[in-house]
Amino acid sequence: MTGPILQLQGLRKSFGPTEIICGVDLDIVPGERHALIGPNGAGKSTLFHLISGNLAPTAGRILFQGQPIGGLSPALINRRGLARSFQVTNIFPKLTVFENLRLAVMQRHGVQAMFWRRVDRLPGVREQTEALLAQVRLAARHDALAGELSYSEQRSLEIAMTLACDPQLILLDEPMAGMSHEEIDHTVALIREVTQGRTLVIVEHDMAVVFALADRISVLVYGQVIATGTPDAIRNHAGVREAYLGEEAGS
Amino acid sequence: MTRGLGGAAARGIALPGLVAALAGLALLLALPVLLSASLLNAAIQMLIAALFACAFNLLCGQGGMLSFGHSAYFGVGVFATVHAMNALAGQGLLPTPLLPVVGALAGMVFGAIAGWFATQRTGTYFAMITLALAELVHALAPHIKGVFGGESGVSAMRMPAWGFSFGEGRHLYYMTLFWVLLALLLLYGYTRTPLGRLTLGLRENSHRLRFLGYNTHLLAVLVFTVSSMFSGLAGGLQAVNNELGNYVVFDANLSSSVVLNSYIGGVNMFLGPALGAALMTFFGLAVSDLTRSWLLYQGILFVVVMLFMPTGLAGLAQTWALARRRCGAQRLLPLVGAWLVALALLSLGTVFAIELLQQLFSTDYRAGVQAGAPWPAVRQFGRSWAPGAVTTWLVPLVLLATGTPLARWAGQRWAAALDADQGQDAPR
Repeated sequence: MTGPILQLQGLRKSFGPTEIICGVDLDIVPGERHALIGPNGAGKSTLFHLISGNLAPTAGRILFQGQPIGGLSPALINRRGLARSFQVTNIFPKLTVFENLRLAVMQRHGVQAMFWRRVDRLPGVREQTEALLAQVRLAARHDALAGELSYSEQRSLEIAMTLACDPQLILLDEPMAGMSHEEIDHTVALIREVTQGRTLVIVEHDMAVVFALADRISVLVYGQVIATGTPDAIRNHAGVREAYLGEEAGS
Repeated sequence: MTRGLGGAAARGIALPGLVAALAGLALLLALPVLLSASLLNAAIQMLIAALFACAFNLLCGQGGMLSFGHSAYFGVGVFATVHAMNALAGQGLLPTPLLPVVGALAGMVFGAIAGWFATQRTGTYFAMITLALAELVHALAPHIKGVFGGESGVSAMRMPAWGFSFGEGRHLYYMTLFWVLLALLLLYGYTRTPLGRLTLGLRENSHRLRFLGYNTHLLAVLVFTVSSMFSGLAGGLQAVNNELGNYVVFDANLSSSVVLNSYIGGVNMFLGPALGAALMTFFGLAVSDLTRSWLLYQGILFVVVMLFMPTGLAGLAQTWALARRRCGAQRLLPLVGAWLVALALLSLGTVFAIELLQQLFSTDYRAGVQAGAPWPAVRQFGRSWAPGAVTTWLVPLVLLATGTPLARWAGQRWAAALDADQGQDAPR
């Protein structure tokens, strides 16, 4: 299929009288890496919550591969091939790294209610888990408790868990927040590598990362997309410079 | 390394573990030869309590769902089995040894329905719903005489089957042992299945599970159902043993003691709750003839365990193994000795004070007190103690006053020994 993989049409979300998302229209093209930027409180995370099923939209439509998914449960949306990570690290802290990832990998084997087979005898689960661990360079931390990993290792684990269901579309919510420069470089390379052949939507505050990684950028201000385009177009967009990049220029 | 259930289940069973398991099994099989009839009966009750606690812990310790109303599923198992005994008279497809299956099925069905409602919420709200459901059954049961038999309960007869009379304790013991061991094996096997692993995920972070594509409500209902099924099996075993179902099994007392027993034993280890329940049941039976304050002791024990060893009795073994690897047994054994002496002193002092006060406040004693005359002496530990005498009160005070600093000293030296070793060969 050649149409957009994700379409937002007139999407609105209100909390009581406060409208956070005020009519967003956005098309995400299959295979692109799309960055969502905007000042604090613009509604970036809310938009992710709407797309991933954490919140139900007040109005408007969300189409994933042409099918409406607005208001579906997070589990159903995930099973259609749309996975997300979280801004605040969201893992299973008292389980081992391997166990964390195995829970994520098991899902696509359709074994959630299975109580008659041993998990270590399921064909493919261990291999896929090990392969993912190696891919995010956590193989050495196989038996460590996830809660005892360093911050950036936890972020890598979070990315691996997001990838585990082999999604077509990945939403990453500020994967680099709070990282050092080396960790950021490492994570950018990692994201570039693991999103080959998939579509990525990423929320990120670090402009260097955004311009290095994204094929297209959308700017969200006060719940509305004020511009969408290539990094160059966004950099030179008068409205964006005024509303957003102008403030960032000093930092 | 404390890796809890996750790690323990992921590793295979090591050789020393296998030897210990076989020795334990041999001991359990030999018990009817070694024990008197009344002790064998106590052993049966301990086995049933151990199974009930493990079934409860599947929900609480592994699934992170603290149920305050688990007596409901146990009780449903009891009554279903009693009625099956009466209806079938041990004939046909359900001879006596297979009767507990009825309890398990009833627990499973009732658990699936109750669980569907209770697991709509988590945390405190979940606990409140389970409590409310259990209280509902508890309040209804006395009024439905046809099913629950009113004050006198429903009695039934155990019939001989497969060449066993089931009139002797031995037969009942082996039947109970078989079912309890089978159920524990199944429950342990469960922890290694995909659903078993997801149960831990449910406890750790059910929000994340949803975004990994899992239907967490369905998972929680399944965990609840499995837990209720094994609780019902424990109830069924009790029904076959007692030949009686009485609505007092729905009492909140049973629900709360399974919570206390599991935590005393240690909810983070698979057999911790079984250990706690077996020990507490044994003490309950042994001590109930000697004191009227058993519930108070149970409460004190729970508070002490929670304050000073939050991982429970089973956690002590882990703590010891870890410390021994770091410092060696020679340096730690004197401290353990001191700690045990302190424990004995503190226990004696507490028991002495409680029993003394309990006697002095009892209505029997108050009736014997005459105005103007000194209070009569009470008998305790084979001696009489005058309430007016200084020595009577000095005994518990001295015991507590020597035990407390000794316990503190041992605790401090223990911590210091571990600290001193931190730099040398501390495993990660």
